[in-house]
Amino acid sequence: MVYSKVNKPIIRVDAYEKVIGKAKFAADLYFPNMLYGKVLRSKYPYARIVKIDIEKALTCPGVEAVITADDIPNNEFGVIVQNQQVLARQQVLYIGDGIAVVAAETKEAAAKALGLIKVEYEELPGIFDPEEAAKKGAPLVHSELENNQVVHHRLRKGDTERGFAQAEVILEREYTTQFVEHAYIEPESLVAVPYEHNTLVTIYGSIQNPFSCRNAVASVLKVPLNKVRIIQNHMGGSFGGKDEVMSSMAARAALLALKTNRPVKMVNTRDESILESYKRHPYKMKYKVGATKEGKLAAMEIKCLADSGAYACQTPFVTWRSVVQATGPYELPNVKTDTYGYYTNNVYTGAMRGYGSPQIIFAQESLMDELAEELKMTPMELRLKNIYHNNSITASGQKLDNHQVSLEEVINKAVEASNYKDKYREYSKPQSGDKKRGIGMAISFRGCSLGAEATDAAGAIVAIQRDGSILISCGLAENGEGLKTVFTQIAAEELGVDIRRINYMEVDTSVSPESGATVASRSTILGGNAVKNAAHQLKETLAEIVAAEFKIKTNNLDFKNENIYEKNKNQKIISFDEAITLANQQGIFLSVYGWYKAPDISWDEENGQGRPYFTYVYGCQIAEVEVDTATGQIEVLKMTAAHDVGRAINPACLKGQIYGGVMMGLGYGIMEEVETANGYIKNTNFDEYLIPTVKDMPEIIPVIVENPDPHGPYGAKSIGEPTLELGAPAIANAVAQATGKRIRHLPLNLERVLLGHSLSKGGTKK
Amino acid sequence: MSKVTVTFIVNGKEVTLKVGPKERLIDTLREQLKLTGTKEGCGIGECGACTVILDGKAVSSCLILTGQIGGSEVLTIEGLEVDGKLDSLQKAFIDCHAIQCGFCTPGMLMSAKALLIHNPHPNREEIKTALEGNLCRCTGYEQIIEAIESVAK
Amino acid sequence: MISYEFLTTQKIEEALNYLDKFSKVHILAGGTDLLVNLYKESPRLPDFDYLLDISNIPELKIINSINKFIEIGPLVTHSRLINEPLIKNNFPVLMEAAYTIGSTQIRNRGTIGGNIVNASPAADLLPPLIALRAEVELTSRKGKRVLPLEEFLAGPYKTKLQANELLTKIKIPLLSDNYYTDFQKIGRRKALSIARLSLALVTKIDEEGIFQDTRVVPGSATPYPQSLPVTEEAINGISIFQINLEEIGKITSNEMVSITGERWSTPYKKPTIAVLIKRALERIIKEAKTNE
Repeated sequence: MVYSKVNKPIIRVDAYEKVIGKAKFAADLYFPNMLYGKVLRSKYPYARIVKIDIEKALTCPGVEAVITADDIPNNEFGVIVQNQQVLARQQVLYIGDGIAVVAAETKEAAAKALGLIKVEYEELPGIFDPEEAAKKGAPLVHSELENNQVVHHRLRKGDTERGFAQAEVILEREYTTQFVEHAYIEPESLVAVPYEHNTLVTIYGSIQNPFSCRNAVASVLKVPLNKVRIIQNHMGGSFGGKDEVMSSMAARAALLALKTNRPVKMVNTRDESILESYKRHPYKMKYKVGATKEGKLAAMEIKCLADSGAYACQTPFVTWRSVVQATGPYELPNVKTDTYGYYTNNVYTGAMRGYGSPQIIFAQESLMDELAEELKMTPMELRLKNIYHNNSITASGQKLDNHQVSLEEVINKAVEASNYKDKYREYSKPQSGDKKRGIGMAISFRGCSLGAEATDAAGAIVAIQRDGSILISCGLAENGEGLKTVFTQIAAEELGVDIRRINYMEVDTSVSPESGATVASRSTILGGNAVKNAAHQLKETLAEIVAAEFKIKTNNLDFKNENIYEKNKNQKIISFDEAITLANQQGIFLSVYGWYKAPDISWDEENGQGRPYFTYVYGCQIAEVEVDTATGQIEVLKMTAAHDVGRAINPACLKGQIYGGVMMGLGYGIMEEVETANGYIKNTNFDEYLIPTVKDMPEIIPVIVENPDPHGPYGAKSIGEPTLELGAPAIANAVAQATGKRIRHLPLNLERVLLGHSLSKGGTKK
Repeated sequence: MSKVTVTFIVNGKEVTLKVGPKERLIDTLREQLKLTGTKEGCGIGECGACTVILDGKAVSSCLILTGQIGGSEVLTIEGLEVDGKLDSLQKAFIDCHAIQCGFCTPGMLMSAKALLIHNPHPNREEIKTALEGNLCRCTGYEQIIEAIESVAK
Repeated sequence: MISYEFLTTQKIEEALNYLDKFSKVHILAGGTDLLVNLYKESPRLPDFDYLLDISNIPELKIINSINKFIEIGPLVTHSRLINEPLIKNNFPVLMEAAYTIGSTQIRNRGTIGGNIVNASPAADLLPPLIALRAEVELTSRKGKRVLPLEEFLAGPYKTKLQANELLTKIKIPLLSDNYYTDFQKIGRRKALSIARLSLALVTKIDEEGIFQDTRVVPGSATPYPQSLPVTEEAINGISIFQINLEEIGKITSNEMVSITGERWSTPYKKPTIAVLIKRALERIIKEAKTNE
């Protein structure tokens, strides 16, 4: 199939405004009469609030309002479990909990007022280790609950006992991962405007999921959804991060705006952002694997403990993806997996690119290399013996029979592009000097979209204007990844028109069709289908008009190059513009809603069996590293990333996802860690929370593999998250080959590489 | 805390402003002059989102008090496009897909511009050095480097 | 909240007058440390009522070669240290260290004087400057005094600068031809990185290949940068053909621990400082051998 708009590296539709500095992010908005909001956050990770005295703050010049939990109609919100406090009422549960918010004429006045709020605390002994939280009789983080368990997902397939009995080699290993910060470069920001355009409150902001934000604000205010309007601004990165933390900020700003009847702007500093915002879950993972001497996997038993921090947030669903994908893409007759989330008084954890996969892939792909070594096989050999193919049955009992299972292909392509085999042989030989090289691989399968987490559907409006220009509005939101461009390409392809005709609107919850959230690498496959569906409907309408006018069969029309052609004669009948004029004259309505509902899936929570996702993507990344064994420094020399995406709608945007995901995976692997001590966060700005700079970049080789999926628009599936989840284990495997030492804990920092363990400064507060 | 009066040039235009003793250049640009293309990401010179060109050099506008720059010349992202004509770097960023969320983009462009002012044909390593103070969480930097390389050829 | 009056001047004389006239004056130069501390409201900031901006005093930006010394104005930025031929040709060790500081933006504003006066244990320029036997010229209305830099430093983030004094010059004696220098640094990433550990080495190798006048100064290893006399003595008098690098490494490790004591980071820094001194010596020996 030859396309004219999709499958092409068309330039981004939002590029121009971004290079001239005119793209408006929420912090760039100014409204007349606007106030500035600031949050007073907790002094302790866990404490009872004895008393809050706001009197002095209220008399501070410039202060217009001070709000505490007592002023909030409904203080608890949450997408899955409604237990996150907008402001702490009786207890602070973690160090980032807000206690009061102030609105003042200037930022300085607001900051000053915070200093005048007196909070009397009674510090409580908190729980900071999920293993402690899991113990019977452990003190409760949420006193209204019976225990600290957020969730427990089970998966049972076959009989692991019998499987291990048959195995000739059994390995048991433990792996851990760390708290990780999204580190979007734009800190959280929004403006709440009261009584604008017939709503109670309109919120303009850097909001990843405008609809979940609206749900939260409406529920906090106890008003109907149609009274709250969220308009998304350009968003300076999110990576799963601007969800609940933005809902909370939006609710606070809305309360202040309504109380003062003035617009209220809130912008976090970086320190505030790192203190309050949720992180990627740290996991403790116990893996037991059994295999025959020939390297055929016989059984796997997995137990994962996720630290949910103070709130449930996304833990129930994050750990669910973990339970589905915990074995990795390997055929296993016998599997027993348990994933748990526990409350602690640490910073809460939620969605972050990968969503429960980076942790388990680090474990399972490290484990595969350890097993290969035990079996005296190469890591590649062992994987090839066990990977999924067409019609393989997953650990959840799902037969992979509706799409091309391309693992072998992605492995082979990555191996070829990285010269893996030669390098593996070369680096297996003894190396002289302190600097030693290694090469390592990691592979994954990943369920596309939400799976059995929630209802999975998306909508889009495509509206052709009187002059033939086109507006698109979808409930899915640009996060910076290129969604607007991809959806524009799909609409243009379907209607056979130029990209420049189309204007993609920002999400406005009062206008855009609710489409679930821009999460789970689902936008292209779900939203793309919705846009395609809408454009297709319009095309059919136009085809009918043109067919009637020119007495041609509708199915004999071809929309391309801004014209409508008669198919077999390849003869232009009418231009697109003329067709629009014709429709206008006939009074035909040229705005439609497109809708796409994902194919049915199923899940049995008791045994973790069913069809958890309707399709999957496959990836393989190979890392080549040089380790300075005398200082512990790792230099990642090269990363090869092969990903089957179904179809690349925009190959240049797609490469951007790969480059960015690889670098984020590199950061996860060797340098990033939110350091906590008894609930306090020690590194709250970019001088101490380190993400990769341009100098840390390896050579990155993207390999795009295309096996069109029957369900995807033009065959497209997902790319955002798969690119991130493989880097850390590939690097860890390469480092193990280079040094002969296995590190089972992320990140592979200087101390772990040199000494085998990390060092901690101790102390609690900054 | 009394204000001081400062005169300097922003994007070719002379401005005279009263600034507070704690007012940073980024505050003046964003709040007083409403030049919001310059972004704040960390406040401590570690992310580069606030990069502007001061007297020909890339600097973090969060680490300069406006009171310090009397008589100086500041170029911000808003001054890069001249008479509706994009700077070749801006054009290259568009063409090479050097943009995702766009928040680091103004800072990246200013760092790149400062580099090319002094070194019109930098190699890849020199480009990396010029950008080492600009964090990007989306792009993995590759397409940004490619964009600058395409101009520097 | 921090609050102060802002003062600025383009003349040394006026700056000295301000320092004399007012008490509690804090000096602002490149601002790359001070503005961070202001932003963080760092407890490290002393209490002050006036902020005196000296960043526009032209006299403090001069680099000169005078009487076997290179004199560097305190406002010379790290970028200028990297690009200035007088530095590049005479003190490559200073250039190498300057290159590892922060980022281009930081190096374009941050100054050598600020790096000295801030006296951070991790200050990248202090190890090479101490190793080069740099001296600082301090000026007040009453006159000038010159101190060896190592003596000027009084503790972590502490110097002997008096309230009425301004750092007006950094003077570095030129090295004769048979001196060799090296700088090593380990960070957690490759840019925007605070030294996890660094080391500057300056040494003479005479015609017989014997080490003399060795100066070894580590960074982020001791409470504040200082030379390691035991290590230096252990190296002096030894031939480049016979030196036992393992042995020297051990001596350096032990000397660091004897100064710093056992800290949380010692298990990492103790073996690694040995690696840095070994690598620095190796590089110098190689260079000396090729020069023969």
